[in-house]
Amino acid sequence: MITVSYPISGGDFDSAGIATRMLKEQLARIGVGPKAMRRAMIASYEAEMNVVIHARVGTLWACVDRDKLDLEVADEGPGIPDVELALKEGWSTASSQARQMGFGAGMGLPNIRRNSDFFDIETRIGRGTRIRSTILLSSAGAAETPDRQEPWPPLVSVDGARCRSCMRCIFACPTTALRVRAGGPGIRNALCIGCTACMTACERSVYGLPGAEAPSREIPAGSVLVVPRGFLSGFPVTDSPLRVTGALREIGFAEVRLLDEWEQALRVSARARSLSGSAPRPFIPPFCPAVVSLVESRFPSLIPNLGPWLSPVEAAGEEFPLRPVAIVASCPAQMSLSRGVSLTGRLTVVSPAWLSELVRPLLASGRSFAETTDAADAPAWRTDAAAVPGELAVTGIRHVLAVLAEAEAGALGDVSLLDLTLCETGCNGSPLLCADPYLSLHRWERGGRIPAGGRPEAAAVPRRRPSAPRPGVRLDPDMGTAIAKLALIDTMTRSLPGRDCGACGAPTCAAFAEDVVMGRAAESCPYAAGSGGKRAAGRGEKLTEETQ
Amino acid sequence: MRVEDLALRIDARLHLSAGSTGSEVGQAYAADTMSELIAHAAPDTLLVTSLNNTQLVRVAELMDVPGICLVGGANPGPDLLSLAEAAGTAILVCQDDLEQTCRRLESAGCVKVTRA
Repeated sequence: MITVSYPISGGDFDSAGIATRMLKEQLARIGVGPKAMRRAMIASYEAEMNVVIHARVGTLWACVDRDKLDLEVADEGPGIPDVELALKEGWSTASSQARQMGFGAGMGLPNIRRNSDFFDIETRIGRGTRIRSTILLSSAGAAETPDRQEPWPPLVSVDGARCRSCMRCIFACPTTALRVRAGGPGIRNALCIGCTACMTACERSVYGLPGAEAPSREIPAGSVLVVPRGFLSGFPVTDSPLRVTGALREIGFAEVRLLDEWEQALRVSARARSLSGSAPRPFIPPFCPAVVSLVESRFPSLIPNLGPWLSPVEAAGEEFPLRPVAIVASCPAQMSLSRGVSLTGRLTVVSPAWLSELVRPLLASGRSFAETTDAADAPAWRTDAAAVPGELAVTGIRHVLAVLAEAEAGALGDVSLLDLTLCETGCNGSPLLCADPYLSLHRWERGGRIPAGGRPEAAAVPRRRPSAPRPGVRLDPDMGTAIAKLALIDTMTRSLPGRDCGACGAPTCAAFAEDVVMGRAAESCPYAAGSGGKRAAGRGEKLTEETQ
Repeated sequence: MRVEDLALRIDARLHLSAGSTGSEVGQAYAADTMSELIAHAAPDTLLVTSLNNTQLVRVAELMDVPGICLVGGANPGPDLLSLAEAAGTAILVCQDDLEQTCRRLESAGCVKVTRA
């Protein structure tokens, strides 16, 4: 994988096209074929000219993998008031200078889209625009859009050798995605929402972040680092958050920003929407990306209640389109979403463990680090706006599940806004962070003044695509066969004891029945005499036998 | 057809460089917007246009176009010519307007001509 970036100056028609030409040289060096090259050049040049014509400054990022080229052109500029209109051929707001040069025909964005296998545009009025284009190299010219959902990527890594089959994890998982069988633990990726339930339940560190040992690529010097505050206050008491911040700067990060900034921005927007009376009740802002996935998979009737914004970690990734950014992800959901923000290497996602290893030797050296001068300024995120009437904050999977169930049943008439996080006490409580959340919070309160002054306040970012029910895993591509399988699963589930004991490796009898019918497990229920499908034992009957 | 022969047939002034000598032209595409030119440019396409600026050469370079035909007796600036020389792009200048130049190319009979 190769990642490159080139600056683009707005209004500079003399240098326009140079970034794309430099990209072409790189692509030619690695042997990109003529068809893909042609499409890449059109997409890149048009996107570059978009910056030159309309924006102040921008960057072209490109990432080439074995089978695809990802382009991302981001700018600081006026943004596009009506994207749908801008995508129509012939519509343009280019200056007369640009038109005299042959630009401004309203063909730029359509040209990019036409030459992309995946195209996406995101714009914010007064801030800028970002265009993403993916070009498949293997089948340049392929018309179909790559499906980014299939196959489901693993959100959680599994170290099966550590597992002792205690089965705690299968019951902890809120979406029944886990199985522990003879071959060791396994995750059904299609069901996994990227929370940390399995990691919290497992005492042997079987589960972790994929690629946690090191970032997928080198982090450019001068990157902005976005951290959860639990990371900064997760070190021994002698290493205050401010000292940790200093050490991070020493490593080479140009700026250290708190994820809380974007969380607070979201909170302010959500409260304003709730107070305006235009939000559904209970309103559920996407503070925790795993909660959003949970709603999409287990509580789809609450999807209209989700706030129409990006989660804080996604918004942070969007905040610096022109600079390299590293984000510390405190859960698999954050890691997965952050990686999705940029495909071109502008953004690197790192694990707390990796960054801790990097910073620990510096802290242990006893050296003092230059404390930033802006530390005295009160960070905007700390000026917490007042909660709205009927606001309810809930953390921890068990409680969040209970509250969402109540909300789905329409039993939360007295709640206007739900502030939900799956980790105990919030992101601070992620098991991937170093310290217990209460200790971490205590240390933060004692010494948690970190630099944030003088910078523009982070803003909540509208979500481009609305939330949608998470598709269940299809039992079969053929509907008739799928229906037959469903009937089999139902029959078998009813024939099983209903103990949901986990002895078979699945968390529930229904999950086990599905595994058997789908060929993922052999019939091995110890309480069903070896033949779950044939035994007609009812739940009550079996339980009675056991009790006797 | 070699770009030198084509220039001769349509009575165009030719600015050649070492890189563009002997370039083959298989078709011509005529337009006055950059988006149309780049969308239809190919390694055997002569771009025909009444535009006259350095971005034409950038597009030609990116798309490996063998040459650009400026119409209406345009006077290419030194920047354009030096860029074209560096990029190996032939510059042709025709006295006729866009439409007449296209007719000349068609009557030359050796290349397919497409208008935007």
